[in-house]
Amino acid sequence: MGPTQRPRSVDRRTILKTGAAIAAVQFTSPYIIKARGETPVRIGFIDPLTGVYAAIAQSEVVGAKYAAEEINKKGGILGRQVELLVEDSANDVGTGVQKAHKLIERDGVNFIVGDVNSGIAAAIAQVTSEKKVLHIVGGGHTDTITGTGCTWNVFRVCNTTTMDANAIASTLMEKFGKKWYFLTPDYAYGHSVQASFEKLLKAAGGTSAASLVPLGTADYSAYLIQAKASAPQVLINIMGGSDQVASLKQFVQFGMDKQMAVGGTLFELESIRAVPDTARVGWWTMEWWWDQPGVPHVAEFNAAMKKITGGAATARNWFGFASVQTIALIANQEKTLDAPKLAHALGGFKLPPEVALQPGAPEYRAGDHELMSTVFAGEAHPPQGDPDNMFTVKSPVPGEKAAGPVEATGCKIQWPA
Amino acid sequence: MTTLLLFNVTNGLIIGAFYVLMALGLSLILNLSNTINFAHGGFLVIGGYIAYAITPYVGFWGGLLLAPPLTAVIGLVVERLLIRPLYGRDPLYSLLLTFGLAFIIQDGTRFIFGAQGKPVTIPPFLAQPLSSELFFITGYRLFMVGMAVAAVALLFVLLRYTRLGIRIRAGTLDLETVASLGINVQMLRTLNFGVGIFLAGLSGVLAAGQLGLEPTMGDSLLLPSFIAIIVGGIGSLPGTLAGGLLIGVASGLTAVFLPAASEAVIYVLMAVVLLIRPRGLFGEEGMMT
Repeated sequence: MGPTQRPRSVDRRTILKTGAAIAAVQFTSPYIIKARGETPVRIGFIDPLTGVYAAIAQSEVVGAKYAAEEINKKGGILGRQVELLVEDSANDVGTGVQKAHKLIERDGVNFIVGDVNSGIAAAIAQVTSEKKVLHIVGGGHTDTITGTGCTWNVFRVCNTTTMDANAIASTLMEKFGKKWYFLTPDYAYGHSVQASFEKLLKAAGGTSAASLVPLGTADYSAYLIQAKASAPQVLINIMGGSDQVASLKQFVQFGMDKQMAVGGTLFELESIRAVPDTARVGWWTMEWWWDQPGVPHVAEFNAAMKKITGGAATARNWFGFASVQTIALIANQEKTLDAPKLAHALGGFKLPPEVALQPGAPEYRAGDHELMSTVFAGEAHPPQGDPDNMFTVKSPVPGEKAAGPVEATGCKIQWPA
Repeated sequence: MTTLLLFNVTNGLIIGAFYVLMALGLSLILNLSNTINFAHGGFLVIGGYIAYAITPYVGFWGGLLLAPPLTAVIGLVVERLLIRPLYGRDPLYSLLLTFGLAFIIQDGTRFIFGAQGKPVTIPPFLAQPLSSELFFITGYRLFMVGMAVAAVALLFVLLRYTRLGIRIRAGTLDLETVASLGINVQMLRTLNFGVGIFLAGLSGVLAAGQLGLEPTMGDSLLLPSFIAIIVGGIGSLPGTLAGGLLIGVASGLTAVFLPAASEAVIYVLMAVVLLIRPRGLFGEEGMMT
């Protein structure tokens, strides 16, 4: 029997169809964390628990769960227990929106928190504003969320990309020079950070080139060859999560750390932990840091997180914690769950020290709903003493200074009639 | 510009060699067992994590030596318990099974080792670039290419000169006749599956040193490997070899002119090959009907 007559049960069409299916399908099962009390106040928490941002998303969940437990210990929200419903957006906009609809329409949540991925957070914000649900964006950084795309019901805990860029850009320019190369993830967040940096660089008379890199890229050699060819003084690495880990590892393996500086907005503790000592380099911002001697309640929170995760508290732990605490604080203060009333009250609301966990009392700015949180600019390095002491804060920049005037954000809040 | 082009072609070949390693395992399993193994990326992850777990006791080289066979053993168990019962059925059954298995492996590793990536350290002498001019050719990347070449060579020797290899090739061509000659086809498929998963495990250990280790690392490597098989032609191992190298180079070259498209180009290449030559570059007529 020749090969042409041989029966084959797997044919080209099957392979092509299934190949397309695997590329398209993002599937995960939802799960619910904790159900207490008979008529609980429900908070829907949407984050990419799977995919490249899984580690940081899960850190947010840990912080949020801890906050819910603490709130319940103190009597909950309006005397009702808090129930946290955690859903996986699978790092996919469609899935995130679908989960938001499910949480609001089927599970009847009173509040929404999420998403790490800015693109998903912005898409969910459209749903929550339409459904009149108060929405806290814990860790999605793109400017537009509290900028041109701001809505009356959306408040953000983490910084804008502009805040982070403002906090580190001058340090990078002064220390290393004004010729930069960007390694930018090709989606809303990456574009937003690059634009923020380029604005500052241009104003200072600097020049730049860039590579836009698809999310989930494994090998960065082609992009690093491009970067090297343009001979920059600083490589700005905007990649996030496991993408940042892989790109930094390769950057160091290629010996490029000896030829140019590396830095950017974020090199989160979760990512620093995932790289070997040699790749723990560069100048970055932390949006919260566990080692703040003399700042009240920080050590307490750090110890609580350490008990749960085994490691020091991360900025993402704090994002999740502060997001859920914000909801409880404002609802208990206003004695209502009505979203428009709470949103009005949150404008100008200052976080108390046990939730702020940083110098001063950051407030949600009324004009754009952005939390004016301190930005910790500094340098990454191998562990010094404590295994998580891998970053030294050089200059804490107050949120208001990093954010600039509210008019510059382009946010014009339209309140519902 | 010429230097940049040359750099990217060389770089593409290096990346391609890695795709080849992964794709050969997939191809072996597909050819003999009619199983589209979507869990292949998962086995790669298992290989990486096994190496990570045993490295503190046996060192990097011990991990490299032991992790692939241990991954293969897990593969053998999976084949025996889960995949074998589905051989007689429509291939969509085993496809769905491995599709689900990929998620189970991913969540399983996340459950055991955590979602946070793990740092993998490679021997310092491998972590250096050859020279400041050829900065992208590090000792480790050369080592990866060497391992890929050695694995391909061994595989070809196995398939050409050993009894097992000859039976695997014969089975790929006509399994019914092989069975009627009294050869234990079930055992043949199991061993073949084991060899395929061995290659996945080896890819995992090597990838961990280059990219870092985290539960989703197999995802981004699986699809290019499937494309290598389709471009090269289903049923042809030399085709898989050529397909892997070709998509690596295409991706590298595109990076010179349009970096953002360097990933998309491999899909375009696949589409073009399928339009012009539906059986793939080296696929036999009738293999891809």
